[in-house]
Amino acid sequence: MLAMRSIRHRPGRFLATLLSAFLGAAIIMTFNSMHDTAGQQGVDSTSSETLSTAAGVVGGYGTLLVFFAVASTLTVNVRQRAAELELLRCSGATPAQLKRMVVGEAVVVALVGAAMAIGPAMLGGRALLEMFQDSGQVAESVPYSFGTIAYVTGIDITLLASAGAAFLAVRRATRGQERRGGARRFLAYGALLVGTVSVASTFAFSASDAALMAPAAYGAILLSVGFAMLAPRLLEGVLNRLPLNGASGWLAVRNLRERAGQLAGILMSLILFTAVATATLTMQAVESDTVEALGITKSVDDKNLETLNFTVVGIIVVFVCVMLVNSLYAATSYRVREFGQQRLAGATPGQVLGTVGVEGLVLTVTGVLFGALAALAGIIPFTVVRSDGVLPGEVYGIGAAVVAVAAAVTLGTSLLTARRVLRVPAVGAVAVAS
Amino acid sequence: MFRTGSRRGHDQGPAPEALRLVKVTRTYGSDDSAVTALDGVTLGLGRGTFTAVMGPSGSGKSTLLHCAAGLDRPDSGIVRIDGTELTGGGEAELTKFRRGRIGFVFQQYNLLETLTVAQNTVLPLKLAGQRVDRRRAKEVLTSVGLGDRLGHRPDQLSGGQRQRVAIARALVTEPRVIFADEPTGALDTRSARDVLRLLQQAVRVHGRTVVMVTHDPVAASYADSVLFLADGRLAGRMDAPTPDAVAERLAHLGDDVAMGV
Repeated sequence: MLAMRSIRHRPGRFLATLLSAFLGAAIIMTFNSMHDTAGQQGVDSTSSETLSTAAGVVGGYGTLLVFFAVASTLTVNVRQRAAELELLRCSGATPAQLKRMVVGEAVVVALVGAAMAIGPAMLGGRALLEMFQDSGQVAESVPYSFGTIAYVTGIDITLLASAGAAFLAVRRATRGQERRGGARRFLAYGALLVGTVSVASTFAFSASDAALMAPAAYGAILLSVGFAMLAPRLLEGVLNRLPLNGASGWLAVRNLRERAGQLAGILMSLILFTAVATATLTMQAVESDTVEALGITKSVDDKNLETLNFTVVGIIVVFVCVMLVNSLYAATSYRVREFGQQRLAGATPGQVLGTVGVEGLVLTVTGVLFGALAALAGIIPFTVVRSDGVLPGEVYGIGAAVVAVAAAVTLGTSLLTARRVLRVPAVGAVAVAS
Repeated sequence: MFRTGSRRGHDQGPAPEALRLVKVTRTYGSDDSAVTALDGVTLGLGRGTFTAVMGPSGSGKSTLLHCAAGLDRPDSGIVRIDGTELTGGGEAELTKFRRGRIGFVFQQYNLLETLTVAQNTVLPLKLAGQRVDRRRAKEVLTSVGLGDRLGHRPDQLSGGQRQRVAIARALVTEPRVIFADEPTGALDTRSARDVLRLLQQAVRVHGRTVVMVTHDPVAASYADSVLFLADGRLAGRMDAPTPDAVAERLAHLGDDVAMGV
């Protein structure tokens, strides 16, 4: 009841959630339609295996990503509506009713997003199949099919992820600031430990093992997940070592320290993005170089691996960028009142932008630093075992590109949003939210 | 620095004006739906005075304050603060002009939530790139009765305490003029009295000039004089105001305007 009304009256606010649901559903359906395609009659076993692996790996990633993306946008959404939820609570809504409202909204938005994703997913799936066929990994005769598996998984996963994320977000909001740092820290250290073991186990493989890349890649990803979960504390550590002077820097450091918890999501995306993109792309480059140096032609398995690596990185890059833009835009535009207060206290628009810029820079540097650390932890063992080097030459170029994308997205979004927000006169900005 | 406070008693001639408005007009909206918030207001306020600006809702009180303080730009007319004319220019220029000349106290305090009491107080100095004297900040905060709350955050303080932090913040740059926009609007009577006494002290002890917009006759009675505003025009002045006299005058403000006085 409440849910429908609140969506109908504020469609704009749900745009971010809709976008993540849409993208998530599109990716899940695109790849799961490979299952449908592989399951058709008369598809040879090599083709079928290629298609199923692609669907399985990317489908799994996709589910995780949808959950994170929707969760992060919903958390921001719920936090910004704290006042509205409080008002509803004061006018007699029980916590259960609030929960139903927020979860209901999320489900409706997810349904719309999933429905919108069907068309693009069909086109995407067709393109993917053609790509596999062009590279000879799948027989030309295999026709494309978009069937039950694609529909069911796409809609179900998106719905479940949205509902679950909304439930968690609203529970956190209605419970107030209750810290549950213990479990999180345990998981983080667990991820770091398993990641280290996984990375170290690379040395147990021989150079020609087909699975050589797996422990290094998974280790790097696990390490980055561990770092990501520790993000607020890492940020704290970086802030303590920053010699920042000047009014903008001074304000930025204090803002970041206060909001470390809220910024964790953004930092998490940055760390994961840097680690996954750098590690996967560099390892793939090393692999290709080695194969080329040995003068062997790539087998279908090699090609599959390469395609998968590039697709996974591509998906993660797009997703994380969308998430970053999403959450940074929301977080920055929400600060209209704070910026107004700074201006009334004597900050020029340039100083406000400077503060936002320094904040973005510190976030980028922290995220990239720990992301790169995780990536290197995977890259170095892999390179040592596979090609007798230590650090492949490609890592610099790839690293630089990844850093450039991360910095451009983070700084670009926050500065452009802040500049737009600053167009509101200071007095009006302060009055808007009060 | 400037020592207006000690000189005031000896000066026989007219005190230099802290604030001067000449034929200031401000219109909102366009053509058909245009509303004239200020209609050729001319006034001058001497240094070291405490003036209340009163009038019914929509009389242009806030617009007057915003225009005088350089937060809003008048369509026409001249605004002069401490002898310097407020000219056009970007927001950055206006901000730099306001620094050190103007202090603000708002109804909604406008303290930054991420900063402590002490940090909020020195923020204007930080932003102006001045050296921050911690001792001075502590001194000012002690003078508003918050010497033991330096490390607290705004959300740990009561409304009255927050407003006193805002006053400390307005005082710390030693501005020529302090503008207060309904400073007691959100406070209980006791906190309101503390805040008004602090504003009074800023004038009597430190020689600042205070301009306060309010709709409360009791608050206005703390000022040296009251300016009445109706429909964007000045509608009279009262020196040494009492709450009753102010309320009485306010009640008949509409009549005066209707009669064209």
